[in-house]
Amino acid sequence: MSPSFFDIVGPVMVGPSSSHTAGAVRLAQLALLIAGRKVVDVEFILYNSFARTYKGHGTDRGLIAGLLGYGVDDERIRDAYEWAEKESLSFKMTLDEKPNNYSPNTVKFVMTLDDEEKLVVVGHSIGGGKVYVSRLNHYNVSLKGEMPTLIMFYKDQPGMIWRVTKVIAEQGVNIASLTCSRGKRGVEAFMSICLDTALYPEQVAEINQISDVYIVRSMDKLSS
Amino acid sequence: MSYFESFDALLAHCLDNHCSIVDAALESESQEQDLSVELLFQKVSVLVQQMEETIKSGIDSSDPSMSGLSGGDAKKLMAYMDAENNVLSPMAIRLMAYGIATLEENSRMRKIVACPTAGGSGSVAATLIALEHERGMSRKQTTQGLITAGCIGEIVSRRMHLSGAAAGCQAEVGVASGMAAGGMVEAFGGTPEQVLHAAAISMQNLMGLICDPVAGLVEVPCVVRNGLSSVQAVSSATMALAGIQSYIPIDEVVDAMAQVGRLMPRQLKETAEGGLATTPTGQTFANQFFKMSQTPL
Repeated sequence: MSPSFFDIVGPVMVGPSSSHTAGAVRLAQLALLIAGRKVVDVEFILYNSFARTYKGHGTDRGLIAGLLGYGVDDERIRDAYEWAEKESLSFKMTLDEKPNNYSPNTVKFVMTLDDEEKLVVVGHSIGGGKVYVSRLNHYNVSLKGEMPTLIMFYKDQPGMIWRVTKVIAEQGVNIASLTCSRGKRGVEAFMSICLDTALYPEQVAEINQISDVYIVRSMDKLSS
Repeated sequence: MSYFESFDALLAHCLDNHCSIVDAALESESQEQDLSVELLFQKVSVLVQQMEETIKSGIDSSDPSMSGLSGGDAKKLMAYMDAENNVLSPMAIRLMAYGIATLEENSRMRKIVACPTAGGSGSVAATLIALEHERGMSRKQTTQGLITAGCIGEIVSRRMHLSGAAAGCQAEVGVASGMAAGGMVEAFGGTPEQVLHAAAISMQNLMGLICDPVAGLVEVPCVVRNGLSSVQAVSSATMALAGIQSYIPIDEVVDAMAQVGRLMPRQLKETAEGGLATTPTGQTFANQFFKMSQTPL
């Protein structure tokens, strides 16, 4: 995507750092979108620069606030610890300072959702509040929250892409990109589809009913 | 504004259509965002409003930052405005105080407008709001200034990453001061050429600026640097309005800045491994601070 005026001037954000504070909020918002429901427990594992400087940059507060659904300009970020308690989010902050190949500002979310589903998400903040998720459970992914996105886990077998994209085509929605990744042949695979406009809930439900589709999430784009 | 791949293309468009940079930017961005020009202008003026609110709350506050490394300097400067020994104009004092106020609010975890980043957010805000407060410039004029400033930043961002980690402070405060200088010339009704000369002059003066934050925090030297950069932005704008031209065209200035960013050693690019960050005093603070940070909740 080409840069917009509002990428340069803005966002209106709580300081002090677009990468370490606003980026942390947006990464957690993205993790929340992937979860698609309330997160009740989370371990944040911080790497590299996030691990070294999180306190002075409020990275910890930003991560909590984002998982609670707050935006980058929400002044509750400052008091995120209190808000986590009020909204019954239990969390733990872990620093992993072993050498790794991750980019400088990386965090792993180990989440438990309100239906006890577990979800592991690895995300990176790459400057100016821009973020992406590179790993979801044991799949390599690339989720940026720039467009409405459909993600799903399904049984690895012929015809699945066709069955899913048929529903999307019937609603007349244009697919911007589609990525598949196989976990284990014949067992499980992952697909993410970036769309020009979000699907209606009925279409999402229809995809959910396709046999051998295990989990579907329809993610909005991240608010800027 | 994706239409303009270079400053040369932007200037050619302005000359062909006899329009200002702010008009060209508004027209192009309104197409890109699918928003009316009026609505777009309104959205930008909300950002000017937030810049002013940040500054007002910053110059009133003596609170320290989250780390305790900065805070309260904007208030001191405002109080010095009427001091007997003050040799600077009220405008210059205001510029410094407003730039510092913005960064101080930033390090208190209060609301700011990133421009182009959080660490460089003082230059443009201080320049535009000081023009309103000291010179009675209208909100419409400063909004036009901000649109032009954003357009400048956007074109620069096509050629280099605007982050201290990628290219040093020149990519944050350096670019911010170029945006501020161009924005001020626009607010004064200068020609498109003058806008670009102002930005080019300002950026060449801060070319090579390293990013060496003590303990990796956006505080020392970022706070005072933002205060000073708005003064040099206004000085650059004044040069351009007086008719001074940048000998090197702005597109080439930006390419040179990107090259300098690539040549800059990593120790001087936001890693806190050189410059002020590795002075004995900087190290002492960093050691204390990390000890505090590592204490589990």
